[in-house]
Amino acid sequence: MIEVAGLRVVLPPAVVAVDGVDLTVGAGEFVVILGRSGAGKTTFLRALNRLVEPTAGVVRIAGRPLTGADATTLRTLRRQVGMVFQQFNLVRRASVVDNVLAGRLGWAPTLPTLLGRFAADDRRIALDCLAQVGLAELAGRRADTLSGGEQQRVAIARALAQAPSVILADEPTASLDPALTSSIMDLLKRINTQRGLTLVVSQHQLETALAYATRIVGFRRGRVVFDGPPARLTPPAAAAIYAEDPGP
Amino acid sequence: MKRTTLAIALAVLAWTAWDTGADPIRLGRGIPWLLDFVRRMLPPDLRVLPAALVGALKTVEIALLGTAMAAALALPLGFLSARNVASPAVFHPARVALNFFRSIDTLVYALVFVAAVGLGPFPGVLAVVAYTTTSLAKLYSEAIEGIDRGPVDAITATGATRLQILRYGVLPQVLPLFLSYVLYRLETNIRAATILGFVGAGGIGFYLQTYLRMIDYRAASTVLLVTVVMVMVVDAVSSRLRARLI
Repeated sequence: MIEVAGLRVVLPPAVVAVDGVDLTVGAGEFVVILGRSGAGKTTFLRALNRLVEPTAGVVRIAGRPLTGADATTLRTLRRQVGMVFQQFNLVRRASVVDNVLAGRLGWAPTLPTLLGRFAADDRRIALDCLAQVGLAELAGRRADTLSGGEQQRVAIARALAQAPSVILADEPTASLDPALTSSIMDLLKRINTQRGLTLVVSQHQLETALAYATRIVGFRRGRVVFDGPPARLTPPAAAAIYAEDPGP
Repeated sequence: MKRTTLAIALAVLAWTAWDTGADPIRLGRGIPWLLDFVRRMLPPDLRVLPAALVGALKTVEIALLGTAMAAALALPLGFLSARNVASPAVFHPARVALNFFRSIDTLVYALVFVAAVGLGPFPGVLAVVAYTTTSLAKLYSEAIEGIDRGPVDAITATGATRLQILRYGVLPQVLPLFLSYVLYRLETNIRAATILGFVGAGGIGFYLQTYLRMIDYRAASTVLLVTVVMVMVVDAVSSRLRARLI
């Protein structure tokens, strides 16, 4: 589903955030990218849909190269890849349902949407997705009146509304109360098992990774230092992922 | 160092006082004349009230139409001169152009447009449009530069086009600010439009200038009172609307 070869991302001025990553994620996997903060997890995920431009290497989505693709191809590929963010990234002043409708933008024709018009089908899909995350009754509320956990559910509904085959979730629980972590991760897991979507979720918490992942990819200083099922993540392997960086 | 800066500042101010002939004694000698002026303005001559009201209405119309047109014209300019939306090849020249035209005041534009299209409220409207467009474009672009990047990323990730990203990621964040700036400009434009009549660009200023020239101070004071009430009413309505937006 996702093929990454020789991926390298240098952020300005000269920070090597991702340093030569090769990774193939198969359809239906629940991959947790595990690592300390600053290990390059976020940059890696953002390079997978080119929110960050890779410096070198190739990313393929469902066999089609995303790197080097022209604007139109890039958009059709992005459409297949939903994204969930640590800070939810909702339009705070817009209603809940309008936020979810934004997930349909990649499919809807540009001109009507510029005037705020969506097809009836798009609205139905948006309400469906909202119901799937259990927030159907909040459709008309302003997004910023919702709790953090609810906002993240709306963001997940927005990702679902684009009918993706992959969802990238960048530290989806890091800004939430620890008690809410399992409810969001349960929701992502349900999407993975019931809809057969591929999930790539970054996490800095080992316990959460072990509880949900079918595969754990350990990141350290922009490189993959572990790749395997949770059962194989022995304490020494985990320690290697979390090891303190040597001083300069 | 600080003492020298202060000394230089005081020296500059002293020189400007000398060069402009600022003289408290001269002001003191003028006070009786000021009082005489005020005395001759009272009581206001209410027979000119209908004319003053017509002038006030024209002034409000000039400000309203000019501000509304500028609000729309400034939209593309605002986006083109925002660092985080436009490419450097576009926004640098756009910024320079905005700063250039913004440094010319509404009244100066009015002189130009009166010469171009003749007397009346129409050159007044054009003058308001000319100045307000550039000043709003500048305010818009600053609002756009201050947006939260997050929703823009999220909309980009859905596969949206550039225009859709602007419409759904940027616009909802800045629209309330834009409307608030437009109302604020409307308030200042009402004030600016009161003196447009001095240069023949219509509105209440025309009546004020006419009565002053005719040395009809009691009529002029009626016009002044109407102006004050008009500005206060527009300010009150506008600031109430602005409070609701934020």
